[in-house]
Amino acid sequence: MNNYILSKKLFRNELSTFYSFLIGFIVALFVGSLILLIQDKNPIDVFSLMLKLSVGSINSLSNSLNKAIPLILAGLGISIINSVRLWNIGAEGQIFMGALALNFFYINSSIQNSTLYIFLLLTASFIGGSICILIPALTKVLFGVNEIITTLLTNYIVFGLTIYLINGVWKDPASLNFPAAAYVNESVYLPIIVGKLSSGFLICIIFTLLAFYIKDKSVFGYEMRIAGGSELTAIYAGISAKQKAFLAMLIGGGFAGLAGGIELLSQTHRVSTGISQGFGYTAIIVAAITGMRPLGIFLVGCLFGALTIGGSVIQTIGVSSYIAEIIQATTLFGALVAQFFFSYEIKKKVENG
Amino acid sequence: MTVPILEVKGISKTFGKVKALDSVDFYLQKGVVHGLLGENGAGKSSLMNVLSGIYIPEQGTIKIQNKKIERLNPELASSLGIGMVHQEFRLIENFTIKDNLTLSKANIFLENFKEAYLKYSEIFSLNSSYNTLVKDLSVGEKQKVEIMKLIFKNSAIMLLDEPTAVLTPQETSQLKISLETLSKEDEKTIVLITHKLKEIKDFTETIFVMKNGKMVAENLQTDKVSDKHLIELMMGEIKTMSFKKDNLKGETKLEVQNISLINNDEVNVLKDISFNIKSGEILGVAGVSGNGQVELSNVICGIQQEFNGKVLINSNDVSGKGVKSRKKLNLSYIPENRLGVGLAPGVSVLDNSAIREYFKASYGPHLSKGKMLNYLNDLIKQFSIKAPDVKAEISTLSGGNMQKLLMGRELISNPEVIVAAQPTRGLDVSAVESIHKLIINQRDEGSAVLLISEDLDELFKLSDRIIVLYEGRIIKEVDIESANIESLGLAMAGINE
Repeated sequence: MNNYILSKKLFRNELSTFYSFLIGFIVALFVGSLILLIQDKNPIDVFSLMLKLSVGSINSLSNSLNKAIPLILAGLGISIINSVRLWNIGAEGQIFMGALALNFFYINSSIQNSTLYIFLLLTASFIGGSICILIPALTKVLFGVNEIITTLLTNYIVFGLTIYLINGVWKDPASLNFPAAAYVNESVYLPIIVGKLSSGFLICIIFTLLAFYIKDKSVFGYEMRIAGGSELTAIYAGISAKQKAFLAMLIGGGFAGLAGGIELLSQTHRVSTGISQGFGYTAIIVAAITGMRPLGIFLVGCLFGALTIGGSVIQTIGVSSYIAEIIQATTLFGALVAQFFFSYEIKKKVENG
Repeated sequence: MTVPILEVKGISKTFGKVKALDSVDFYLQKGVVHGLLGENGAGKSSLMNVLSGIYIPEQGTIKIQNKKIERLNPELASSLGIGMVHQEFRLIENFTIKDNLTLSKANIFLENFKEAYLKYSEIFSLNSSYNTLVKDLSVGEKQKVEIMKLIFKNSAIMLLDEPTAVLTPQETSQLKISLETLSKEDEKTIVLITHKLKEIKDFTETIFVMKNGKMVAENLQTDKVSDKHLIELMMGEIKTMSFKKDNLKGETKLEVQNISLINNDEVNVLKDISFNIKSGEILGVAGVSGNGQVELSNVICGIQQEFNGKVLINSNDVSGKGVKSRKKLNLSYIPENRLGVGLAPGVSVLDNSAIREYFKASYGPHLSKGKMLNYLNDLIKQFSIKAPDVKAEISTLSGGNMQKLLMGRELISNPEVIVAAQPTRGLDVSAVESIHKLIINQRDEGSAVLLISEDLDELFKLSDRIIVLYEGRIIKEVDIESANIESLGLAMAGINE
């Protein structure tokens, strides 16, 4: 007979998410080391090189933080949507859609004041992200279609749309055979703050605080929590659970769209398939590790940005850049297992009717 | 008398401190339709779970066909011919009728399935091909398939738990004929478990009655026993302990006029309901649950906005308006389903405490945590709630404290109208007492209270007037001075003298 059951712990340590992350990260470094040892590389050498080349100088640090911007913004979007206990797997598509919307607005407009223009372009990218999640949001609230599936599927649609545009109507003749849209004018590039750090990072800080405020301090955040807890309670309280879910999805999608806009104006400067390198998927890991906390997403996003940069530079000594992705994924895995043990305990079974 | 096909003696089963079965005797005769009557929680389902091998009793013996069974388990019970239809169907929705019927390895009609299906679908007047998917059947048809499943796996003893709860009156009388045929032609032994007096009289030949885990009457001949006697057995003695009823009544606060409601399954769940409640008055709503109580409170509280009739609070017509219109007129609703409707599971104690008045802690879009905390601390003090950590999930509170938080949240603003549904269900004695005091205090403050309860003790103790709901209709209305338990009990069972 099975006399033991798992039961949810009633009280959790407030820092348990942070401890879980630390445990996950240590496990991930250990696993990464093992893989390096198999390849006859000294893990300490590799890791110290990664550290040096990702945060060792102003330039490398700013590269890392630039990489963190899309992870953080998309992660924040995912966390806002998770307030109503829905999952957004479509951040990758929303990032692309943000860039497409920005480019569409750019092609069809001309504004002299570049500050205003940048502001409007980024607004367009935010709206683009919202449009991208519009169909999953509508099908969710109208027909109850599982949002995990629909947001995932929109990724493929938007990626296909991007390929179509950059090989077709938007294709830049000057790019020869490389499929990409024309570069935007230098006047709308996001200015650099210091080193190579894009001012997109400031936007990122502002939006982190905004997401924190929405989730923790606003009436809307409260209503999302109640709606996420129980739709029946929300109806009982006079809160429209469907409306909150719909708005949360549009806002969350907008955050990811903005990430695509910033990426275009600060890194690629044109629409190409390089707008995102899986940022929307990594953002899910970032958001999940932090238990959907905006400030945590900011910090872990910065760390993962540094890991990505570190991973790309160690290729020069013959180590695959995938080591960074292995560390990221194993961190999530370790953290989730640790969170499980922080949240549940094994108890002796009590029979009841 | 012949030897019973099944006989249990002295069965006891306890859960924690609760004695669910207290040395129960029960026996069944072959080919007879038996009735097992009792209120909710009397122990009927526990007994059936013992017979089908799901619960292992601490004491007692089980004999099947005069053979003593040492340790019954579900598989053994099934092979000995005991089959049960649970209240929740156990059918595979995406399978056809045939697949569901032949799923059991004990199935006896594999070879000649077609003839058997023809025979029994006629007995049950089930007009569907056996290739129909179960999910395409109506609730009544699913019920038929569920019972046929027992026949197909050769169950000689068929235990039916509240089989009529989901049926229309026509389907119920059809079921009666089918069961009679089965007991006469196939010599099936049938047990009908119910709290509906009328059906037990209609369906059965012999009746057993349970009360508080004990068997209080055995083998009563159905045609010789009176309704009144059965009600007395089922309800037991009622302590007519009561709060003082010298409360002053004021002007009418809640008025309900000719409410009718047809639900999504096109069942007429509320039929022409009218009443009013004055300030300082408690109107009790008696009735077995599922007779329209939840729908009635949803209509009054604005959750169900489409219905026929009118709801007036302080003479303001709020029909067709939502929850917020009621909040403005200071109506409070304590729903039957505490965790899931009244409180949001997985959300903190603090967040849950503010559900009624969170907009009062807001400045525009900003929500003040400080104000919410002050409000919660007031609740905790005033209603002596034990909450170890207000930021922890609501499920960290005990049932009694959850209910106190919910009551406190709904009562602290001194509401004009209170709708309280089953406010003490599942609580221990001391919690029940404090909840009762809260309701009486609120009455004395001048609230109009609609108290929905299955517990007649509670209704007698608190109410000034009582109405009885049966199948969505007010079947009886009495002042507390002229009310008597028996006639209320009969009305709850659908019989109005």
